[in-house]
This record gives sequence, C-alpha cells and structure tokens, in this order.
Amino acid sequence: MQISIEDLKKFMEEARGASYVELRYHARTLNEIRVSKGELDRIRSVVNNGIGIRVLVGGCWGFSSTGEMSKESIMDSINDAISSAVLLSKNKKRKVEKLADANLAVGTFKPRVNGNLTDYGIEDKVRMVIDSEKSVRKFSGKIKAAFCTYRETIDHKMIVTSDGASAELFDSKPEFSVTAVAKESGNSATATEGKGVTGGWKDLFNSKSADNIAKEAAKKAVKLLKAKQPKGERTQIILDPGMVGLISHEAIGHTVEADFVLSGSIVKDKMGQKVASDLVTLVDSGPSQFIDGAAGTVYVDDEGVLTGRTAIIEHGIMRSYLHNRETAAIFSAEPTGNARAYEYDNEPLIRMRNTFIEPGTYSYNEIIKETKHGYLMKGARNGQADANGEFMFGSQEAYLIENGEIKQLMRGASISGRALDVLITIDAVGKDFQYDIGTGYCGKYQPMKVDGGGPHIRCTAIIGGIQ
Amino acid sequence: MTLLDICSYAVEEALKQNADEAEAYTMLDKEAEIFLESSDLKQVKSHRKTSIGIRVFVKNSLGFTSVNSIEKEKVLDAVNNAIKIARSSPKDKHNVLPKKSKVKLLRGIYDPHAENFEPADATKYAIEMLKTACSYDRRVSVDSGTFNSSVVTHALCNSNDTELEETISVFSWNIMGMAIDEDDVSNFDFQFNGTHSMKEIDVNSTAEEFARSVVNTLNAKKIDSLKGTMLLSPNAVHELLQEVITFAINSQNVQKGTSKFAKMLGKKVASSKLTVIDDATFTDGLGAESFDREGVAHMKNVIISNGVLKRYIYNTYTAKKDGAKSTGNASGSTNSPPSVGTTNVIFENGKHSLDSIIKEIKKGIVINRFSGNINPINGDFSGVVKGGHLIENGSIASPVKEVMVAGNVFEALKKIAYISRERKKIFDSFLPYISVDGISFTGG
Repeated sequence: MQISIEDLKKFMEEARGASYVELRYHARTLNEIRVSKGELDRIRSVVNNGIGIRVLVGGCWGFSSTGEMSKESIMDSINDAISSAVLLSKNKKRKVEKLADANLAVGTFKPRVNGNLTDYGIEDKVRMVIDSEKSVRKFSGKIKAAFCTYRETIDHKMIVTSDGASAELFDSKPEFSVTAVAKESGNSATATEGKGVTGGWKDLFNSKSADNIAKEAAKKAVKLLKAKQPKGERTQIILDPGMVGLISHEAIGHTVEADFVLSGSIVKDKMGQKVASDLVTLVDSGPSQFIDGAAGTVYVDDEGVLTGRTAIIEHGIMRSYLHNRETAAIFSAEPTGNARAYEYDNEPLIRMRNTFIEPGTYSYNEIIKETKHGYLMKGARNGQADANGEFMFGSQEAYLIENGEIKQLMRGASISGRALDVLITIDAVGKDFQYDIGTGYCGKYQPMKVDGGGPHIRCTAIIGGIQ
Repeated sequence: MTLLDICSYAVEEALKQNADEAEAYTMLDKEAEIFLESSDLKQVKSHRKTSIGIRVFVKNSLGFTSVNSIEKEKVLDAVNNAIKIARSSPKDKHNVLPKKSKVKLLRGIYDPHAENFEPADATKYAIEMLKTACSYDRRVSVDSGTFNSSVVTHALCNSNDTELEETISVFSWNIMGMAIDEDDVSNFDFQFNGTHSMKEIDVNSTAEEFARSVVNTLNAKKIDSLKGTMLLSPNAVHELLQEVITFAINSQNVQKGTSKFAKMLGKKVASSKLTVIDDATFTDGLGAESFDREGVAHMKNVIISNGVLKRYIYNTYTAKKDGAKSTGNASGSTNSPPSVGTTNVIFENGKHSLDSIIKEIKKGIVINRFSGNINPINGDFSGVVKGGHLIENGSIASPVKEVMVAGNVFEALKKIAYISRERKKIFDSFLPYISVDGISFTGG
C-alpha cells in the first residue's frame, strides 16, 4: 500500500487517549560500493521503509514502529505505542508536563541537488570507484593497499503531528572516501581523504574530482611513512577546519545536548556565562551556512520542527543548548530542531546537525607565523567526549611548528583537554571556512549523519605522544 | 509464509532469472526495549521486524539487495534488483556459495520464556538496575541505559540445497553515566552485559560495577608524565587489544595486505602467555549461533596458542582465494553480503591473581577504559585513559585525570607481563586483566 500524508493524518486521528501523536513515514534507500585491490569488496542496495509512531499518554512516551504498510499493522503499532506509554506512566517519576510551542513545518522540503543520484547508473558508480582505487595504487609503488567506498542515502519522509506539523521531506546524501596504506621497510602508514554532502553527484565532486581525492590520500600516506610519533606535551595546537568541526562536535556539541544537560553535564549552570575566548562563536545549524551542501543539513527535524541556526556560544558567552520540544519546555527555551531519528524504527533523540566555529579575522599565515612552538594538526579522525568535559580526538597528521615555521611532519596523534579550559585558550580564529567531517557518523544509541567545520584556529591542549 | 518458504521463493526466482547461484537470508526480530534517561524511565519501545538479504552470482558477478519486508511482491523486486546489480558488477572467480554444511543446532541459546517476555517485564528489570546504581551512592548520576529483550529467528536457503533455521533469545542491558560531587564530575562509565536465558539476567552486578567505577574516579588528580606499566581492565583489553587482534586475524585484511599478521602463520606474534580462541559454540557468549551468515556450521577456532599464530578466520570467499576451508566466520546481517568477523572471542586466563599482579607493579596506571584512536593496520594507538588510577609500589593510589597514553598494540602484545586468573564476560567476549610494561603516559 502506497502511503500519503492524508493517510497518515487519518491514522493519527484513530490514536485515542493520547495527548500528542507523531507519525513519521520514512523510506530510505542505501546504496554502497566498496573496492580494494581491484576487487569489488561489497556492493549492496538496501531498502528500509516504515512508519515510526510516538505518542504521549499521561506525560509518558511510547514508541512503536512497523515496516508493514497495511492499515491493520499500522493500527496495531499505534496501540502498542499507547500501551507502552500507559505502562510507563505507572513507574516514571518526572512526567512530561508539556511540549514547547514550535515553528512546525507545513509543506514540502527538498535540498538543492545538482545531478540527481538516481540519474547515474550503477555501472557508472561502480566504474568510478574501481578507477579511483586503481589511481591510489598507481600513485606510488609504496602504496600496498587502497580502499574506496561510495555510499548514498536517498530519503523520503512524511511527518505529521497532532498539533499541526505536516511535512513531506526529500533528502539525498552521497559520500565518497578513500583510504591509502603505504608500506616501506617494515613501516606502515594510513591516510584517508573523502567528502560527504547533502546534494547530488555533481555537488559531491564540485571541489575535487574522485581522482584528486584518491591521489591526495595516496600522497599523504606516502609522506607519513617517514614520520615519527610526536612528543607528548601540553602545547599550542593549530587545528584545520575538519579538526575544528570535531572539537565543536565532541568538546562542546555533546555537552550542550539538553538531555545530557539534564543528567548533569558540565555546562548545566553556564547559560549566559563566559565559557570561551571572545573570538569564539560556535554554531549548530540545520541549514548549511556559509557554503552549500554540508552533510548534516536538515530543514525539518523528526518532530516536524523547522530548523535554523542555533548559536551555542556567541563571542565567548554560552547562549543556547540543543533542544527537542520536551527539553525546550523544561528550560523555557525555543525548540532548536535537533530531534533526529536515524531510520523509521528509531525514536527521535537530540542530535547535532552541522556544527562549526564561525570565521574570524586572522589569515592562515599569520596564525602560523605567530606560533613559537606547537603543532599543526590536520585530517580529522575519531573523537569522543566525556561527562566531565574531557574530550579526545585524533588527527592523521601533525606538523611541528618552531619559531613561526612549519617544520617536519609527525604521525597523527590524539589531543585531549577539558572542553571549557581549551575554548578559553583559543587566541586566533582564521577567516577561511570549510566543512570537512561529512563522511562521518555520530553515535548515540543510533548512528547519525552530521557535519562540522570552521576556519583554522589556535588553542592550547595536550597532545598524546611518546615520553 | 514461513521464513524458510520466503527464502526458497527468493532463491527459485533468482535461478529462474539466470542467476548461477542464489542465497536468501531472513531475520524476524521481536523486540521490547525500555530506555532510561537522567536517572528516570524515558520510553518503552516495541517492534517486530522482518528483513531479507538476497545474494546472487551471475557468471561470478555479485549482486546483493536487502529489504525490510517478506511480502512476495517486495521480495521479487529485490531479486530483480540483485540480478540487475550483478550484471553491472565485475567478475570474480572466487564468488561461489558454500556447499551444504553439516550443522548441529546448539542448545542453550534459546529460552522459550522470552516469547512471553512483555515490556512490563523489561520495565521491572530496568527499574531494578536504576535503583541498584542510584542506591550505591547518592553521587551516582545515570545518564542513560536500556534493557532489551529480543527473540531473533534467522533462516537461510541457497541453491546448494541448504535450508537452515534457528531461534535465539537475547536479554541485554547497559547503563551509562557518571558521579557528580558538587563541582567534581567523574569520567563516564559504560557497562553492559547480556544472556540467552531469563533466569541468568543479572542487572545488579552490572549496575554495581558501573556505580563503583564512577564513584572511584571522583576526586581525580593530574599527574606528571611517566613511563611505566599499563594494567588493562577487561573492558580496556576489549577496546585496545581485541580490536587490533580481530582485525589482524581476519583473512580479508590478510589478503588486502593490511594485516600485520600476514605471512605469520606458525610464528610468534605475542607473548607465550597469550592464547586467543574464537568460538561461536560457546553458548554463554552472546555471539553464539549454530551456523554462520552463509550457512556454514560454526566451530571452535584456536587463533593464537601460547603466542603463536595458528590460523586466520575465513568465510567461503576468502577461503577460496587462499585454497583454505571456511572457518565458519561469515558474518553480517540481512542488510549486507557476508563479510568476515569473529563470533565469541575468548582470551584464556593466566596464572596470577589480579591482586598479585598489582603487587608487582612499581609505577603504572590502571586503564578502566580507553578512549582514543587505534590504527589496526600498524597498531599505533593514542588516546585518553578513562577511569584510570595510579599504581605506586604495588598498590593502587589515587584516580587520575587528563592522562594520555600512546604506543603500539603489536609491540604491547609481545611485552605482556601478566594475564590475570580473573576473567569477565562482556557480551561476546571473555577477557582477563592484562599488564604491559614500558608504556608512555602524558600527564596534564
């Protein structure tokens, strides 16, 4: 059965006894191609369609989902969600008193797409990945392995809520990543390059071709072969835009998710206070600011709330947490459109979108020139945040800087510090801007596509290395 | 239609469309889950999900599709699409399905009580877990947690006459949070466990271990940089050592040239104190199953014996490439073609008690969890010590904060000083404490 937004509204009316009902139809197609050593490692096309149902009964949430589009199955799920909520109401201490009023979406929403993904055949995509992988290995005899992955998700959603949201959403997020492994006399080094966007095929490759991405990964891996591990110390660190995206996401973004603030995050009493250097304006935005097509772009969240630019920190002052409608009501704030669900069978959780530091006034050369001793960290790897604000994230490369000059390349390392301590130390914010973690996913019970970026910045933190 | 019926329907349809070989793998997952947040109940969730993964070979070219429905019409669409993909894929002579394998169904991984396990039962356990954690110490703050019960039936048919089906029950739970004492906030801790059998559900030990761990890391001190011993907890062994070992023994990585263990069969790769086994037939582990993702019978595989590398783990594709036999390690769900993965990973216990190991350490750090980046190809790791404690002259001193640790896992495996007698089951792993000397720690 083909489902329309009108059908969803009819089902919603049948949910008796609930003070709030949310029905979200989500159809997703995921296509993926991975090639290594000239062989197709993986090819798949995965279709996941269904309806997620969330209800509020007596101040308690119930959630259920179904992949079967029959009236009977959808009604069963609605009833399951209601009985789950009733069950909870016997034991839950703090009931949901209300949901904050929000700017609810009505209408159809689509990202700007150059080159519809469905207009490109599977043959073309397979060919592109095979050619790129070959290009990595051809770059140098030292490249011993290469992995190229193309992945695309194509989404169609319809969201209705009992208080008036009625939105139809289309989305398209392709990504391409390349890993090169170089080896020489017992040493091995790995480098990754890639891009992920919201948009189409042409958007994915608008700044660099697949072949350029492949060659850059190869070049970086070869260079890293000769690099030594840096010395562990607390020092000045210059972060590239991808690393700034990671620090914004890991060190601050997670601590300001309002569900986490309620559990006692380090920022719980910091609203309106100075938490960072004056140079810092840190934003989480649904729309893609400054440059089109950031991978975490969402126009409407999964509670049907219109998204916008949420300034978390403005000129060093803590201004906003990231909310869903429930937490916004608790904090007497506006919902920020951060309720996101990964697939139809996931409930919306507070998640980030595109998280970044806004550009400042420094030129890249000035930042380097002024640095007496430190490291330039490039190429974001994994990151994690902790309850006490202690964060960790890794880089692929670390260039030693001495007396204002970039010296030798060292192996990538992890850096760590306490989020608020490190933000205060930011003493230079560049005027460039880039999103650069669009191939990444954030994990919090569900995976989620996010992006992040910023200009180059300089701060002080601990780099983990050899003693 | 039963799961096996729909599987054989998909295989027949694929063969009709000139697939040379075809395989269909289905899952039916009945789940109830209760979610905790901010030391309170947050949400009850229930669902029943079906899905099918269809793999076809057309002239040795691979096509794969998956759909979350077992309605005939949608399955037929998926078959058609798989054939279309195969026609666009390059040929690979190693693309074959396994021959029919003699599978003996395991006992002890399905508890019929799970069929009648209601969201109300899950709620009862979740409340118990929360109460135990919060009553341990008033400073404990539970950020989130879940209790989940699921009954999964998986079934597989292929064009080599394989027809297999089994049902597995899993009760699992986790708890995450910190301790807060005015301005002092501890590290996060995350504890989880699970069992196949309802009467073995034990949320209390998990909750207590979580609470003890976060309270013990309050009032942590910064330390100076040092070179000394790292004592890894079973959780840290999982995060740091197991991850790299499972990557290096995976035949896919050996064949792609990314495994450090390539060409090392029969050679020493670790201290002779270390023995590692992969065993899906170990029914206590949550990775237990009778057959793998492509219908090959599971078996016990000794991977590293007294420090010597004994074998790699294979599925049918990688085995064919090496002229070897599948070790029953085809892994994955219905949503992707079979890859290679471990099942239950068991580290054999050592001779020494944890206490006696600590007594031997002059200067070092206990690592409860590791949060950082590990390169499984060359073994380099760099990250933050979580829930760490300083050890001085054979006894545990204060908890530490802002300490980073860096080194190389392959070197660490060779320098293992002690492996503890005590082991902990963590989901699908069974792991001891392990100490390694000569590690660099950077203090704040």
